[in-house]
Amino acid sequence: MKKLFAMLLAMAMVFSLAACSNNAGTPVNGNTNDPNQIEDNPTSSDGKYEIAMITDVGDLKDGSFNEGTWNGVKLYAASNSKTYKYYKPANGNEATDDDRYNAYIAAIDGGAKVIVAPGFLQEGAMRKAAIEHPEVNFVFIDGGAIQEKATEYGADGAPLPNDSPVLTNVAGILFQEEQCGYLAGYAVVKEGFTKLGFSGGGGGTNPACCRYGYGYVQGANAAAAEMNVNVDMRYSWQYGSSYSASPELQSMVQGWYSNGTEIVFACGGNMFQSITAAASANEGSVIGVDVDQSAQSDTVVTSAMKDLAQSVNFALDKHFSDKWADIGGQSTSLGAKDDSVGLPTASWSMKNYTVEEYEKLLAGIKDGSVAVDADFANLEQSYSNLTLTIE
Amino acid sequence: MTFLIRQTLIYAVPLMVVALAGVFAERSGIINLALEGIMIFGAFIGVLFVNIVQQAGGFSQAKAGGNWIALQGFAFLAMLVAAVAGAVFSLLLSFASVNLKADQTIGGTALNLMAPALVLFFIRIIANQNVLNMAGGDAPSWFMLRKTNLGFSRTDDLGFFGETFFNQVYLATYVCVILFVVLSVILYRTRFGLRLRSCGENPQAADSLGINVYKMRYAGTTISGALAGMGGFVYALTTANCSSTGEVAGFGFLALAVMIFGNWKPLNIAGAALLFGLFKCIAASYASIDINGDGVCLLASAGISPHLYRMLPYIITLVVLAFTSKKSRAPKAEGIPYDKGQR
Repeated sequence: MKKLFAMLLAMAMVFSLAACSNNAGTPVNGNTNDPNQIEDNPTSSDGKYEIAMITDVGDLKDGSFNEGTWNGVKLYAASNSKTYKYYKPANGNEATDDDRYNAYIAAIDGGAKVIVAPGFLQEGAMRKAAIEHPEVNFVFIDGGAIQEKATEYGADGAPLPNDSPVLTNVAGILFQEEQCGYLAGYAVVKEGFTKLGFSGGGGGTNPACCRYGYGYVQGANAAAAEMNVNVDMRYSWQYGSSYSASPELQSMVQGWYSNGTEIVFACGGNMFQSITAAASANEGSVIGVDVDQSAQSDTVVTSAMKDLAQSVNFALDKHFSDKWADIGGQSTSLGAKDDSVGLPTASWSMKNYTVEEYEKLLAGIKDGSVAVDADFANLEQSYSNLTLTIE
Repeated sequence: MTFLIRQTLIYAVPLMVVALAGVFAERSGIINLALEGIMIFGAFIGVLFVNIVQQAGGFSQAKAGGNWIALQGFAFLAMLVAAVAGAVFSLLLSFASVNLKADQTIGGTALNLMAPALVLFFIRIIANQNVLNMAGGDAPSWFMLRKTNLGFSRTDDLGFFGETFFNQVYLATYVCVILFVVLSVILYRTRFGLRLRSCGENPQAADSLGINVYKMRYAGTTISGALAGMGGFVYALTTANCSSTGEVAGFGFLALAVMIFGNWKPLNIAGAALLFGLFKCIAASYASIDINGDGVCLLASAGISPHLYRMLPYIITLVVLAFTSKKSRAPKAEGIPYDKGQR
């Protein structure tokens, strides 16, 4: 009797939880412009999914990089009646090349014709999968074109010559993040912030995050020089290696805010959660990254955006309209000139710095009169009006 | 200094409560290794509760209208739900170890293995990823007590005491502290507490005096489960922006260490938890700690490698345990299934 009771208890627990799952389903092919209204887990009639998306590390719904890309996939699929599916590599934030490769193969077995892969960590797995499956096209977001053999580095760290052929079924899409980082840094200093912070993901190894950070520093310095003020910036890669939220990160940023930092650039997926929590506790401010994150927290002043959804749309369109040769085997670099980076003007919340001033600066970047250095190796230099503290 | 005390409390309070959870189980004679698993489960259910209530639109008016008393009630309710979840989850352990007389270490380990897997499984179904967040907003803006709530303006200075204990704190912290005191008194100053402890020392003697050992052990483990579940949610609320990821960063195991270091005594445990909390805080934010308020961050300018600071909590654990474990005395009958026939 007691055994039966315990069994029932255990069963009840399991099923009551299962009942909580979210079954809000909207038709896959319903034309809509709101990605949140499009189903995340569609089922196709034949069990095959033409478009696959695979993340490197981090979560799909990070409210940022991965989610922005995923929204692009969903929007394209919904308006063109394509089937799509998300495959998450095993082992979450510790996913290895093998895990990602297995996810690629699972996607290809699931009928994928084109795979969207956001995140620069994808390269190794993608090389292997792309060589084995030349019939499948790969869209590499935040990465360049891939050669059949990985570039090796000599003892002095310089790349050795690599003449292996470029894989034509991989299209690399890169953004000029330094430009939107610059815009964000410039904007917040013009808005009146003088104590800034930068907390980046990837531990300083992710080129996209490095470009964001370096652009941000340059923008802040330029604005400070124009206004003839001095700004301080704390700059850190700590606790960001897996782009995830953590108590340690939250404590660290709490420390920043309680020591006077006014605004922190949260540059890395779910790290945003820890940073907004700290900001909200101290009534500080945050700059979002990759997509407009203002809806996710009241602390967000602006966001350094790159138009992930649009770039996915662009690449998928090339695939489905048989124009893959335009982008296959190449690195497409998108920046201000392509209207692919910028700040969100629709949710503008700054008062001292106006949309008009922003658009003037953006035009300057477009025509080249405002030069933003993309080589983040130059980060540690002396700035005229900015004190950089790297932690 | 204010910052240091606040952050230390935030780390120390979940540790303290969960270590007390361990005490209740072990004092009744059940080794509760499952603390980590119960914390994970409690955190998940608490966050899920917050998420579902938010999605259903509950308390959104209170949030919009700045009705912070209602929001604190919401937080308290979530803590309660997490406590119930933890208690229910711990029944698995009590059933296995009291009724089935199974090995308690293995039972606890099984729960520790099961909880993250189960929780991740549900999070994947619900959120399609490995983390379940709040449905909207962030934990501080919903649940944190700030001086603006208490009728002061942002620029008012409440003095050291006010700033430290009434600004940027969570109600959960104080609820936990009060619970800790009340339960410690119950354990040492009431008939129930004495009976519970006797079952962990000599259950045969207790039974001969008419105490139902099975009931006492169930009671101890259930209280333990409730506390650990609540501690898990408090951890998620105060340090993880009210999100659940199928882990609590080893706080359950750290709580076990705190319990052993505290020699199964509440007062020592409180001290041990504060010590660990302090070093956790130093490890994460050494660069921003300004002890005497002169604007100079001593630890950052001392020129010591940051890696050393980050190692500190673990080094301290090792050192302290090495020095104190000799004196530590576990409840005598813990881990031994009670068998009526054995005298």
